[in-house]
Amino acid sequence: MSTTRRLWLGLIALLVGSFGVLLWMGGDIHRQAPPVPERVASSTGDTIYTREDIEFGRQVWQSIGGMQLGSIWGHGALIAPDWSADWLHRELVERLDIEARRTGLGSYSDLDEAQQAALQSQIRADYRDNTWNPETGTITVTEERAEAIERVAAHYVSLFGNDPDMTALRESYAMREGTIEDEARREAVTAFFWWTAWATTAERPDSDISYTQNWPHEPLVGNSPTPASFMWTMFSIVFMLGGIGLLGWHYAVYHGRAPEPQPPVNDPLEELVVTPSMRATAKYFWVVVALFLVQILLGAITAHYQVEGQEAYGFALSEVLPYSLTRSWHTQLAVLWIATAWLGTGLFIAPAVSGHEPRFQRLGVNFLFVCLLVIVVGAFAGQWLAVMNKLGLEYNFLFGHQGWEYTDIGRFWQAFLFIGLMLWLVLVGRGLWPALKRRDETSSIVALLFLSTIAIGLFYGAGLLWRENSHIAMVEYWRWWVVHLWVEGFFEVFATAVISFLFVKLGLVRAKFATINVLFATMVFMAGGVLGVFHHLYFAGTTTAVLALGASFSALEVVPLALIGLEAYDTWSKQRATPWMPRYRWPIMFFVAVSFWNLVGAGLFGFLINTPIALYYMQGLNLTPLHGHTALFGVYGMLGIGLMLFCLRGLRPQATWSESWLRGSFWSLNVGLALMAVLTLLPMGVLQLQAALEEGYWYARSAEFMGQPLIELLVWMRVPGDTIFSIGALMLSVFVAGLWFARRREARQEVAAAEA
Amino acid sequence: MAEFYLQIRWVHVAAVFASGALFLLRGLLVLAGRKQWALAVPVRYLSYTIDTILLTAALMLMTLLHQYPFVHGWLTVKVLALVAYILLGSIALRRGKSARTRRLAFGAALLVYLFILGVARAHHPAGWLSTVFA
Repeated sequence: MSTTRRLWLGLIALLVGSFGVLLWMGGDIHRQAPPVPERVASSTGDTIYTREDIEFGRQVWQSIGGMQLGSIWGHGALIAPDWSADWLHRELVERLDIEARRTGLGSYSDLDEAQQAALQSQIRADYRDNTWNPETGTITVTEERAEAIERVAAHYVSLFGNDPDMTALRESYAMREGTIEDEARREAVTAFFWWTAWATTAERPDSDISYTQNWPHEPLVGNSPTPASFMWTMFSIVFMLGGIGLLGWHYAVYHGRAPEPQPPVNDPLEELVVTPSMRATAKYFWVVVALFLVQILLGAITAHYQVEGQEAYGFALSEVLPYSLTRSWHTQLAVLWIATAWLGTGLFIAPAVSGHEPRFQRLGVNFLFVCLLVIVVGAFAGQWLAVMNKLGLEYNFLFGHQGWEYTDIGRFWQAFLFIGLMLWLVLVGRGLWPALKRRDETSSIVALLFLSTIAIGLFYGAGLLWRENSHIAMVEYWRWWVVHLWVEGFFEVFATAVISFLFVKLGLVRAKFATINVLFATMVFMAGGVLGVFHHLYFAGTTTAVLALGASFSALEVVPLALIGLEAYDTWSKQRATPWMPRYRWPIMFFVAVSFWNLVGAGLFGFLINTPIALYYMQGLNLTPLHGHTALFGVYGMLGIGLMLFCLRGLRPQATWSESWLRGSFWSLNVGLALMAVLTLLPMGVLQLQAALEEGYWYARSAEFMGQPLIELLVWMRVPGDTIFSIGALMLSVFVAGLWFARRREARQEVAAAEA
Repeated sequence: MAEFYLQIRWVHVAAVFASGALFLLRGLLVLAGRKQWALAVPVRYLSYTIDTILLTAALMLMTLLHQYPFVHGWLTVKVLALVAYILLGSIALRRGKSARTRRLAFGAALLVYLFILGVARAHHPAGWLSTVFA
């Protein structure tokens, strides 16, 4: 059996096994999810909340941006608090005060440490004992707790409305005035927040661990990491070290053994025939640049809301474009422009590979483009209407704001995007078809490329698998299929396949060895990547098995990144492989940057927050966007730009490239990103971490902590890095625009010369 | 953040003088026929660094004082004069075709720079002449 065949079989076995476990665990999450009660009642029999309240409250919360304004169980935005942790802490403080007064001690805050500790242990059972009765579907709480709930609910009703007393707090949370205009809806939201807080301390039946694995850290009620969190943290590090050792052995045996091919004398892509459909992809790349610029602008506004919660330099911005919207669009556009760059790349290279232009291909490319524009405009308009309370709740799920970070466009738009991806798949497939049918040495790598496009097309479909009222634990499960498996998994496979493929086409690598490398790399990615999805779900209402699997497999995701220097050096050396290779210098430099940020952003900053014990404290602190920015832009953003440049080289083979614009753009983007990470996100995250460890998670996210002068100063330290980064993006757009304007100028000069 | 007001203002003022001094030096180098020194990579990057610090401090002060361009006259004038200064500076150092053009642009840029200082000192659109217009 050939090596390629063995690897294919290995990959298939790995995927079947991993997805089998993933699906089976999905069933387990469904069965073990924290129960949503039919009724929450006080011990005197009064109804506090009903299931309808909780579900309606969740809908309301989703419609105002959901995870894009504060977070739930640590998932979501960073400026407003984590509502579950915040509610829990507020309720505990109220409860302790009620207890202190009831026992005649006066106010809780006036007590000494010993008295406070005694009261804390007195109320603990009230919170940790699970009083949910599966037969009646009722959760019963003590009268004192019911009173505490009432007080916290009053606080939230006031916060989400227009109460002038709360304006300062709303400002520090970057909430607009009248976030939820209708009072009945504000009251319903409290039901949902309470339920999420209840699940953080109520112990699972026959267990002493809460539904959220004791997350968040809350000393007042003894919420601290579980023994399993410690154990699997240590095991995962051992697995990772073992994996690195094994991969090191593999590299020692195989690396550099492949014979170098004789590179062609001339650039093979120079003779590329640019077909009408390939030419039609140009507009995809213009849109990539435009969306990238808009995304940066929205990011700057989102960051600025951390300084002025409702304004931007004197303009009352939150009245027309509140924080939850700018952040929704900023995060959505990140995925959208990168995806558009890849869609464009797929459409460009398919006919280039096969040398065949299928009928009506150009029409398909143009039609898909129009669909994508309609989706972006329609989905964003729906989100604006939802967040501004202008869209009825009945339409919110379909057309408004779903509130689930990264997958928050309305269901109709999601489905439309899925259809668009299917159309893309068909277009790429029919372009590649003759090459897929050919039985030559490149057929395996073409097949891999095509399989990764199929995966990209199909796996977005996971985003359609939850319904409006699905349990939040299940929504999280499927949501991370999209964000993790789609973005972190299959994008990665596509990236590896497409880069290797381009090198094969340039004659720098032999197809056979490229295929083996890509297949092996895919196996390594997928071995950790598929079940690694669970590292997002440690505290999302799942069981210890999820924590164990997530910790172990996601640690393996770091293994290939530890040795990425070898790949980076290989890529780097390609620049000088032939006299014509400098034509591709900047796409290659962007690919080298991909490796660098893969190590730093995905590897180091990713692993920093990856183990259960680390994430227990760090989830939703600024260490999360530290990883998010450096990995999403650092890896996929840089890759999107690199691929775009490659395609532009093919689209404009004879154009003279402006080195200085590209060099400036490359370094500005990299330096800007590094400064953002080092000057703001990392130090701020570390300070928050210390606060979470010492005081409890709620404190690290509180207005009190985030309003400190030092934190505000650190937020301002984003300006230098962000400015340099934005200049880099502007230089890139000038470069891309220059390719077309220069072409017009050249054409005019040619005409003038001919006429003369 | 108001606690840091004086320090931020100090950084802003220091960056203003550093930026102005560097521009003066680079302009003189161009006049002396040493354009390659004025445009050398380390010098250019030093200039970008100073200007980025200057801008950051300016945005922080704006937020602290709640005074904004296009809302408050003196800041509007400062921003417009800054644009003129940048354009003139670019002609003086790089884009000016003849020595005369570069010299004139350099002189004009310095005058605009001094005018901006005046506007900043007086918090008045007329700058040094604010007492006349007051």
